[in-house]
Amino acid sequence: MLWLVLLLGLSKPPTAMRTVEIRGMEFHPAVLTVAVGDTVVWVNRDIVPHTATASGRVKAWDTKQLSQGQAGRYVARHKGTLRYSCTFHPTMHGTLIVR
Amino acid sequence: MSRSKHSLPLFAAALVFAAPLAAQNPPDLSDPEVAHVAVTANSIDIDAAKFAQTRTHNTAVKQFAATMITDHTAVNQQAAALATKLGVTPADNAVSQSLQADAKKAHTALESLHGAAFDRAYMDREIAYHQAVLDAIDKVLIPTTDNAELKQLLTNVRPAVAAHLDHAKQVRSQLGAAARTGK
Repeated sequence: MLWLVLLLGLSKPPTAMRTVEIRGMEFHPAVLTVAVGDTVVWVNRDIVPHTATASGRVKAWDTKQLSQGQAGRYVARHKGTLRYSCTFHPTMHGTLIVR
Repeated sequence: MSRSKHSLPLFAAALVFAAPLAAQNPPDLSDPEVAHVAVTANSIDIDAAKFAQTRTHNTAVKQFAATMITDHTAVNQQAAALATKLGVTPADNAVSQSLQADAKKAHTALESLHGAAFDRAYMDREIAYHQAVLDAIDKVLIPTTDNAELKQLLTNVRPAVAAHLDHAKQVRSQLGAAARTGK
């Protein structure tokens, strides 16, 4: 049993940390493709607060308010294309593609 | 004719302060004066948003007003921190006074309105105001600023003002097909 757990653990592909910078009232990059298990970090570089909030009724994630210099994260657990926006600034949109 | 139809052209006329200033002879503001204009412009929009929150029942307008308070407060905090760092005391000037006089007129006109008429007039005012501030940033404030950090702050603030303008237009378009007052 222990052997099986170790094997599964070792065979798991490494996960990455991917960053989206929020600056100039935009998400950079606006479209980010990651692998299942990767962690996406949104860092706010703007003076004004932002959020990165998944669209839809059931929100996959919501960083809540990020002041300048603060970061929020989400571990991508399911494949798919997820759109998100800033709840304070509805003109700001981003897309997260999980493969 | 309703009062709003009189008052909004007045806002529009008053709010294009940037245009005549920038046209042929932009005012040569000192950095302390630029700092004062920036703080005044932010404070005016915060006050307008606080008033809107007491008057509107529209969710999109309420959210817009909340964002204006949060964002312009954050910008003013940065401006104050920079002024302290640079040892600059913001100095009152003709542009700040003109902004304040315009704001007073705008507030007086909005005070008489309620319901959907208020929402439309407030959003029209926000569109005109952010457009005027954007023009002022581009044509007056950035070109006349000497200090690199103050210039950078204005440059950093510009996308937020542009986004507010787009946000205001988006909210205004949701307020129904009623003709835009004053247009």
